[in-house]
Amino acid sequence: MSRALEEAASLPRVAFGAPQLSAGVLLALPAAVVLFALYAIPLARLMASSFVGQSGLSFQAYGRILGDAYGRSLVWNSVRLGALTTVIALAVGYPAAFGLASARGALRSLFLASLFLPLAASVIVKSFAWSTLMRSHGVVNEALMGLHLTSAPIRLLFTQVSLISGSVNIFLPFMILPIYSVVAQIDPTLTEAAATLGASPLRAFLRVVLPLSLPGVVAGVSLVFSLSVSAYVVPTLLMGESYPTLSTTIARAFLLLRDPALGSAAGAILMAIGLAVVVASHRFGERSAGQ
Amino acid sequence: MGGPLEPAVNAHVTTTNLSKRFGAAKVLDRVDLAVERGALVTLLGPSGCGKTTLLRLIAGLMAPDEGSIAIGGVDVTRTPPHKRNVGVVFQSYALFPHLTVAGNVGFGLQGKGLGRAEIAVKVQRALALVQMERFGDRPVRALSGGQQQRVALARALAVEPSVILFDEALSALDRNLRETMQVELRRLLKDLGATAVFVTHDQDEALTMSDKVAVMNAGRIEQFDEPVRLYERPRSLFATRFVGVSSELRGTVAARQGGRLRVDTPQGPVLAEGDLPAGAAAVVSTRPENVAIGAGDGPDRNRIEGRVRRVTFQGSRTRIAVDVGAGADFMVEIGGVFAPPSPGEAVVLSWAASRSFVFVDARQAA
Amino acid sequence: MTGAPARWLAVAIMAVASVFLLAPLVIIALSSLSPTPVFDLPVGGASLRWYAAVGSLDGVWPALSLSLEIALLSTAMSLVIGTLAGIAIVRRIVPGASVLAAAATSPLMMPGLVLGIALLQYFRSLGLTQTWTSLLLAHLVVTLPFVARTMIAGLSRFDFTLIDAARMLGCGFASSIWRVMVPALAPAYLTAALFAFLASMDNYPVSIFLTDARAKTLPIKMLQYIEESPDPSIAALSTLILIATLLLLFVADRAIGLHRLAGLEA
Repeated sequence: MSRALEEAASLPRVAFGAPQLSAGVLLALPAAVVLFALYAIPLARLMASSFVGQSGLSFQAYGRILGDAYGRSLVWNSVRLGALTTVIALAVGYPAAFGLASARGALRSLFLASLFLPLAASVIVKSFAWSTLMRSHGVVNEALMGLHLTSAPIRLLFTQVSLISGSVNIFLPFMILPIYSVVAQIDPTLTEAAATLGASPLRAFLRVVLPLSLPGVVAGVSLVFSLSVSAYVVPTLLMGESYPTLSTTIARAFLLLRDPALGSAAGAILMAIGLAVVVASHRFGERSAGQ
Repeated sequence: MGGPLEPAVNAHVTTTNLSKRFGAAKVLDRVDLAVERGALVTLLGPSGCGKTTLLRLIAGLMAPDEGSIAIGGVDVTRTPPHKRNVGVVFQSYALFPHLTVAGNVGFGLQGKGLGRAEIAVKVQRALALVQMERFGDRPVRALSGGQQQRVALARALAVEPSVILFDEALSALDRNLRETMQVELRRLLKDLGATAVFVTHDQDEALTMSDKVAVMNAGRIEQFDEPVRLYERPRSLFATRFVGVSSELRGTVAARQGGRLRVDTPQGPVLAEGDLPAGAAAVVSTRPENVAIGAGDGPDRNRIEGRVRRVTFQGSRTRIAVDVGAGADFMVEIGGVFAPPSPGEAVVLSWAASRSFVFVDARQAA
Repeated sequence: MTGAPARWLAVAIMAVASVFLLAPLVIIALSSLSPTPVFDLPVGGASLRWYAAVGSLDGVWPALSLSLEIALLSTAMSLVIGTLAGIAIVRRIVPGASVLAAAATSPLMMPGLVLGIALLQYFRSLGLTQTWTSLLLAHLVVTLPFVARTMIAGLSRFDFTLIDAARMLGCGFASSIWRVMVPALAPAYLTAALFAFLASMDNYPVSIFLTDARAKTLPIKMLQYIEESPDPSIAALSTLILIATLLLLFVADRAIGLHRLAGLEA
């Protein structure tokens, strides 16, 4: 993102009819108003309200979450889901992105279609589809029995295996596409240059391609982590009540329990995680672009 | 500045019967080339002549379909590029954007068992050769085109390759910088005793920088000669036209006359050096600066008549285009400042037969 | 890149990933043809009855129409607002351009649930209880980042000297924007519109807090069906949604090309 702005800054300015500053402000104003009034303010209020207890300023709501073991397990479950999903998605998605970049013609179109269709499909449809796959008489069990790897259906639904695999299935495109868009733009003469300087193909990859792919990795990791740590539909459909996370707690607090303080506290923690991801990815992005 | 880099052994490059096809097109057709140690050789030709392909084959970035390549007497045809110890300076420089100048220059030195301090010393030496010593910590994106080019050169030199290849490496620079670099580069490479092969489509660059020039056309080397000989005694019509300007007449070979060929042209009989059978369709060519206005003295001169079409003053010389009834204008070039004939004026042109050459006319006279 | 064998391995991994990603969707489509009220594959014989049953799912039509209205309106509004802001950001003619850019795209990484409850409490405190309006405003925030990200990327690649050239050839400023910039940016608009529209249609975490018993969006209805009475008619509904998405993507590919979509995406 910052690279795009840097390049844009070097373009000559168009001479608008009106003085430049007020024209720019006018153009940006509606978006700024929307972001301020409908995004920044509500989030700030949420943050603020999480510090309000029965008698004014207090950390009571945070205490309810961070103070007891159950509450901490919520945080842990969320982070665990996010971390596992991200690590597996990265392990699969990084080489896959290179595979996508290597492919040409019809194969590449096929690969891209297989990324875009799930991306465009509703997360509810996808989670539901995954749960169908995981059923006792679903495809996976039938395949396992058919290959004689198991003799009876194993319970996959409502297990962490189905949760993590489903989460990876749903968020994998968000890892592959950012990495692909960076890798596809790496100048191929750079690896040629590395070869002429004596670097073996492995060395050339480690010392040239890998560092240059990092901005894509950062984008993919931060996107997948923030999506999976805050996922609601996925754990609800694949685990029901047996994997409570901050997200499921927020939903229950507001929709069932009518306990806005608890929900706000959980929300504030989730928001803090979200902010941390944004800031960290920004910092990483600046660092790798600045080199 | 430091002295020459460690003179690397095996700097002699030969290609034998080298061929390369892309699909149905034959890009290189049985090319034989021999580059002496310490020589600066340029591959010169129009786009599509195969010069870049030949360079990439020498670098190992491509494999030939037929033929072999040897460096220092060692056959490297099957050797991958990272084992050939051949340096390349690319047209786009291909500097690693995630490394600083020093990082780029030191790239090839890593992983060879050298200590950090040793690498830093070699990096500084390489940067000093291109006068970029103080730029070590800069990110490469902050550099100008000329500075990037020097860094690319330093990077290639730092690993002390036996051969250095330049793939149109100066073409992205503006004119003044390019001319400066041509001279500087030649001096530097000579100081180092390096063997270098350049690729360019710019004949001025080729003539300035090279010990020998290989003029290439359609996948073959037409002539491989020192620049002066190439200019003064081109061996093919293509070479004549590509290196310098060619003032031409078309005709038919009549007979041998006093050691030269007499060619009958619509402008009259013309004597020239060459060897073609009588009756062959031929083109007689000379350089514009050999042509004088006026009949001149001496028996061994060719004389034709025409009418001045255009006079172009170019500072140190004046170019005069004369219509001699041969289709294309006959170009005359005269140095110094003088009063040229006016457009429309009838003139007699003459030039020495010894400076005139005959080539086969592949087309019938149009 | 690396050696040839490594490249083949990478392609193979991508191929496996493709199958992995498409498998659930294929299974759902097949289950929608199930001959029994359970999610069986149509091995015995396919049945289209679940497709017929889709229309009579409780509340499906109002939900669909509400989702479409909100999606289309919020996407349209975001396109305008986002493009204008994008111009100001890319041309750096507004102070704090990079801050604005970061702010405009940050909702993408903010958990939707958090935004949902924040807006719920905020609207309540303002006395805004009308579902339709709250949904529209919320979806503005949902769609705007997609538009902002795509338009900033697209605008930063646009050569603004083309506008100068048009003006020298006699076009007024507004006319040159319309005749030169809009066609050049059409792929970016289409991409932005596509992603924004899908984001809104698919949105659950923000919408769930702003809807009530009477007005629900399609995703909320779907989750309700799944939790209450799952039968293959849900698979049929899902498949219909998938087919519609497939058509949208096909049109986008014809208009822009999927690989451009990928390049503009990140």
